[in-house]
Amino acid sequence: MIFRGRLLHPVFGVLVFAGLLLLVGGFQALDAAAALAVKPTQQASPLHPDLFLLDEDGVNVLESGKPVSTMQTCGTCHDTEFIARHSGHSQAGLDTLAPAGETSTGRPWDSSEGIFGKWDPMVYRVLSESGGAELDLGTAGWIQTVGARHVGGGPAAVSRDGTPLKDLPVRADDPETSWLDPESGQVRAWDWDQSGVVEMNCFLCHIAEPDNATRIEALQQGAFGWANTATLLATGLVERRGDSYQWNASAFSPDGTVPAGQLGIQDPVNENCGACHGLVHDQGDDPIVAISCDPSVRRTVTTGQIIGPERLSDSGMNLVGKEDLIRPWDVHAERRVECTDCHYSLNNPVYFQEAESARPEHLTFDPRRLELGEYLVQPLHDLARGPSLTDAVTPEQAGSMRRCDSCHSVESTHDWLPYKDRHLAALSCETCHVPDMYSNAARQVDWTVLRPDSFARGTCRGTGTTVGGQPVITGFQPAWMPRQEPDGTAPLTPHNLVTTWFWVAGDPAQPVRLTELEAAWFEGDEYAPEVIAAMDVNGDGELAEEELQLDTPEKVELIASRLTAAGVEAPRILGEIQPYSIHHTIATDEWAIQDCQVCHGDQSRVTQSFDLAAYVPPGAEAAFVGGSTAIASGEIVASADGGLVYRPDIGSQQLYILGHNRVEWVDWLGGMLFVGVLIGIVIHGGLRVLSAMRQRGAAHEPATEPVRMYGVYERLWHWLQTFTIVALLFTGLVIHRPDVFGMFSFRGVVLVHNILAAILVVNAGLSLFYHVTSGEIRQFIPRPVGFFDQAILQAKYYLKGIFHSEPHPFEKTPGKKLNPLQQVTYFGILNVLLPLMILTGILMWGAERWPQFSALIGGLTVLGPVHSGVAWMLAAFIVGHVYLTTTGPKPLSSLQGMMFGTEEVEKGHLETQGGEA
Amino acid sequence: MRRRYVWILGLAVTLALILIPIAILFPKADPPRDNPTAALPVRKPATDHQPLLPGPYASGEEVTRVCLDCHAEEADEVMQSVHWTWESKPYQIPGHDEPVTIGKKNSLNNFCIGIQSNWAGCTSCHAGYGWEDADFDFGDSEKVDCLVCHDNTGTYLKGDAGLPVEGVDLAYVAQSVSWPTRENCGSCHFAGGGGNAVKHGDLDQHLIYPTEDLDVHMGGQDMLCTDCHQTEDHQVRGRAISVSFDQENQALCTDCHSQAPHEDDRINTHLASVACQTCHVPAGGTGDPTKMTWDWSTAGQDRPEDEHEYLKIKGSFFYEGDFTPEYFWYNGISDRYILGDTFDPSQPLNMNPLAGDIDDPDARIFPFKVHRAKQPYDTVYNYLLQPKTFGEGGFWTEFDWDQALRLGSEAVGLPYSGEYGFAATEMYWPLTHTVAPAGQALLCADCHSPDGRLDWQALGYPGDPMEWGVRSPAAPGETAQVTP
Repeated sequence: MIFRGRLLHPVFGVLVFAGLLLLVGGFQALDAAAALAVKPTQQASPLHPDLFLLDEDGVNVLESGKPVSTMQTCGTCHDTEFIARHSGHSQAGLDTLAPAGETSTGRPWDSSEGIFGKWDPMVYRVLSESGGAELDLGTAGWIQTVGARHVGGGPAAVSRDGTPLKDLPVRADDPETSWLDPESGQVRAWDWDQSGVVEMNCFLCHIAEPDNATRIEALQQGAFGWANTATLLATGLVERRGDSYQWNASAFSPDGTVPAGQLGIQDPVNENCGACHGLVHDQGDDPIVAISCDPSVRRTVTTGQIIGPERLSDSGMNLVGKEDLIRPWDVHAERRVECTDCHYSLNNPVYFQEAESARPEHLTFDPRRLELGEYLVQPLHDLARGPSLTDAVTPEQAGSMRRCDSCHSVESTHDWLPYKDRHLAALSCETCHVPDMYSNAARQVDWTVLRPDSFARGTCRGTGTTVGGQPVITGFQPAWMPRQEPDGTAPLTPHNLVTTWFWVAGDPAQPVRLTELEAAWFEGDEYAPEVIAAMDVNGDGELAEEELQLDTPEKVELIASRLTAAGVEAPRILGEIQPYSIHHTIATDEWAIQDCQVCHGDQSRVTQSFDLAAYVPPGAEAAFVGGSTAIASGEIVASADGGLVYRPDIGSQQLYILGHNRVEWVDWLGGMLFVGVLIGIVIHGGLRVLSAMRQRGAAHEPATEPVRMYGVYERLWHWLQTFTIVALLFTGLVIHRPDVFGMFSFRGVVLVHNILAAILVVNAGLSLFYHVTSGEIRQFIPRPVGFFDQAILQAKYYLKGIFHSEPHPFEKTPGKKLNPLQQVTYFGILNVLLPLMILTGILMWGAERWPQFSALIGGLTVLGPVHSGVAWMLAAFIVGHVYLTTTGPKPLSSLQGMMFGTEEVEKGHLETQGGEA
Repeated sequence: MRRRYVWILGLAVTLALILIPIAILFPKADPPRDNPTAALPVRKPATDHQPLLPGPYASGEEVTRVCLDCHAEEADEVMQSVHWTWESKPYQIPGHDEPVTIGKKNSLNNFCIGIQSNWAGCTSCHAGYGWEDADFDFGDSEKVDCLVCHDNTGTYLKGDAGLPVEGVDLAYVAQSVSWPTRENCGSCHFAGGGGNAVKHGDLDQHLIYPTEDLDVHMGGQDMLCTDCHQTEDHQVRGRAISVSFDQENQALCTDCHSQAPHEDDRINTHLASVACQTCHVPAGGTGDPTKMTWDWSTAGQDRPEDEHEYLKIKGSFFYEGDFTPEYFWYNGISDRYILGDTFDPSQPLNMNPLAGDIDDPDARIFPFKVHRAKQPYDTVYNYLLQPKTFGEGGFWTEFDWDQALRLGSEAVGLPYSGEYGFAATEMYWPLTHTVAPAGQALLCADCHSPDGRLDWQALGYPGDPMEWGVRSPAAPGETAQVTP
């Protein structure tokens, strides 16, 4: 009822107007309307009724000539107040305003979590607080500068305390009603009545061809009230008259309405989102061309993400090797999954999902939904989204979005992957499915210097030049950083890291205003002669882009002194590193990382360094910005070429990557033990050979007789163990050093190693059972009485007697096969080494299934080195064991005994010392 | 003895205890989904005929006689084949009481219209010698042309009535004989419709030495026509809807490729409704531009000529290269316009209406070149007319339609009222060659987008099946349902 009075009025006016037109203007208007009516409107919502465009007073714009008011026009049916209030896009941080310095970023000058108040290195300028430092960006200046990426409403329509901007008393000292004139550097009052405000711009997202360029132009000119009207320019409803706009009555229906089809009212399509969020390209026919690192193409400049169904090979990008890149830019765009399919309105009944935590266990689906009509009146414009805190305007929505596994069955598609759960826990889907970025992205933004257009010097990553010097896009590999997910996990996730250098001043620090920065660099429109003299390396009297770099203390000092002269207190250079996570431009399995050795090898992607700054201004340091979901566990180190690199530290993630991680001293000790035993054998064996040669003829062959020494099971058990252990040692070595054994498939070797281990454990268990039940286990247990005497006797024999062909001090009998030294060795092996090996092995294998148990002992970072250390010892033991088998009456006696069961033993001892069993 | 070797048994048991669990537990690699090269025929080496055929030979028939000395049965085989008969077996075609044969011998198309009364001009592509009138002896084995398919010199050229043109060194050609190359097949099939690339839209001279981009099989894999059109006893596998009425002995993608060759099941499910060619032959005329329209009604005028726009003898044309195909349901066969069928000249006459629709489980969406023409018909009897164009009294020399149509009608034995006009006709040519590399296959958005290339409603869907649901697979004979 409220609307009726307003509506009748314009209808009436329009009818009169249309009648007049017909009378005076003939049929020209009708022709034009007919011509416009056949414009393609295929995407338009088929249900949306024709509508009146109303101004802020609810009067048809045809009648008033004033700018269209979306709140009034769309508010005829939709609850626009509700929509604007429940839209992070509109609020932009207005509802998270905090005193400067009390936000998650930790920057002393940040005052909110959204773009209204949070500093953006790509924009540079700081939203000024009331009563704070000198005015940099007032609200009007903010709209002019940042408004291109803001949908309107929120801070562009109401003040920080909720008063409509137009109702504020105009005061030059209030940042909400004042403005820093970029020309003069003077602060002036801003008259909101004259400029108008920017209402939430429904058209930008909901019509087929929003004219974003003209909208931005209107915002930059300060014609805020006209900005939403300017968005309609391509529809023909409005025409541009110089700096103003005039409604084109002939494009309206005779009754003063606008056909919904002419506006092309629709659900937002990818290109609507792309207007602010990055390069989106849905036009199959004309190839994608991206402007290098254009700061206005937001997500694309920060991450290199390009959304489009087109194949890379078909794009217009000068991409190295693109003829083989026949994958689309983004498989979801190719498969017609739209932005809004994942980033949907949270109360859209089509997508609505009850939160897992709120849903009773006995229900898998709750069919009770909002009626479509109710939803259309009050659609939440808080869109489902991931957990990035980098723009944490609406933290309650973090992680509300459909993630990969909401749609994809990860379980069934990754069966080929050994340790699947472990991989899925340690890595996000994007890590493997966004292996490379095939575009360029920002690497460094240097605001310590100014280009002639008063913008920072930017440095891109992912670019290169051909041999002929032509610029090409090489793409880049993202940095893998752990990312804090809402469920408490922190899987590695691809990121781009952008370093910013900039001057700050004062306490608490705040970026030096562009006004002062310009004063330091320029005189008039030119660089100051003093600056040119200091910076002009090649002496051509001009400053080329690559000369814009504060690379000596003198240059830093010069700019600092000029800043000081411009009134800046204690200027100093600060560096910060902002991680931008990458979740789009997904590749299908064919293009994803599938080769184990990408990570499981010496040059592991997991520990790959990532280039940060291209250079470091003298005396400056860079640190990660706070408030990011990316966990900066690595370190920032200087690179060889004078820049900075980020070196990940996976230890802090409890990641122990088989084939990549090794504990050096374990390998050294183990290797030395192994080699030591080998050397000992060579010396001992050599001496035995020498003594045997010396005594040739003198010593007689000992008389031997065959004794049934080993039963069939004992031999089977022994040899099975022999083969499995040798094979385990070898496969283990391959897993330990995959780079050395490149011919083996890492995945295959891991699987074989696990199967061998299972055989070993079963065999060991059965043999333990046999030895216990048969009592044979006693043979392995050293007898305490006289043990040391006997051990010394045996050691003496190995060190001396053996060279003189003396008889063995303890003869081998079926009932006592082991001498005291063997007993103690086996006691150690079977009670310590083998169990330790089995236990660590099982826990490593179980890190997949029962990570909590592995974690009890310190996780893979402890288990891995212990497992490989014990493996070295076992390897050393086996070598010694094999050598000692040659110390029987004849070198091969013992081997033959173990093969055939009957062993030749020295005659005579049997009667005197054996025979107890 | 037994004791000495017992360790071998032990070793075998031990290794078995290790290897058998590994063999059982090691995850099995999936067999390759698609292994097309395995199905490629092994090419047999050819006999060097140089010492066998010293020559000289005065005529094609003389060469054939020499061939038949050793290959006695081959001529009979050729004479069984459509390359010789230019005629199918009799089919019962809807709307006709008696079974009829179709084929080049007696059918009309909307290019050069028909061979009857124009034999000598058309039969330069006949695998025989001397077919210049209705009285050609199809039983004379000496008339078989062996060389057109087996020449490997590239110098053999046939002229009127299929006779070798003057200047062909028949001994040189005969000595070269080997298995047919792309050039042999192409000498006729690339020139259908009276010139290179005119007729098919997917066959032209680029395929003699194709790039991989043009044809992934013949360019990328250097395959020959006969690798797919495998030939036994001179019966060449393959069917063209313009001259056949069944799918018997058709060459199919699935002869080599598996039924579900894609790694992505989403794509494989498309195969229930979409032919391979739809995605993998994304454009027609990718080699040379092909004739899309032919207006005979403008023929005979004295105006500037251009091979690709206007010829006085043929009328006006429009050629197009790299064109987007038109897509229709197609189950492999089409109805046929038979000489003498009456039609409604106010509507374009569809000369080979495609069989199959959304309810036909055997039908797939298939890419076509649609050739649209205006050709002479009898305005009294309302049927298409066969003009005599070639030879004495023909239109190409006299430019007299009435005379040409009278002579043509006499030749086909159809009454001609003396009143003629030009009717709009359409013919559908499936695009199946020039398969592009995988990197050029259609992407989802090519069809599933507001400006996609498929007209869902025209195909019988309520809307894009991505959102509206696919047609439900129905057993043959049942009606398929579109499930929303």
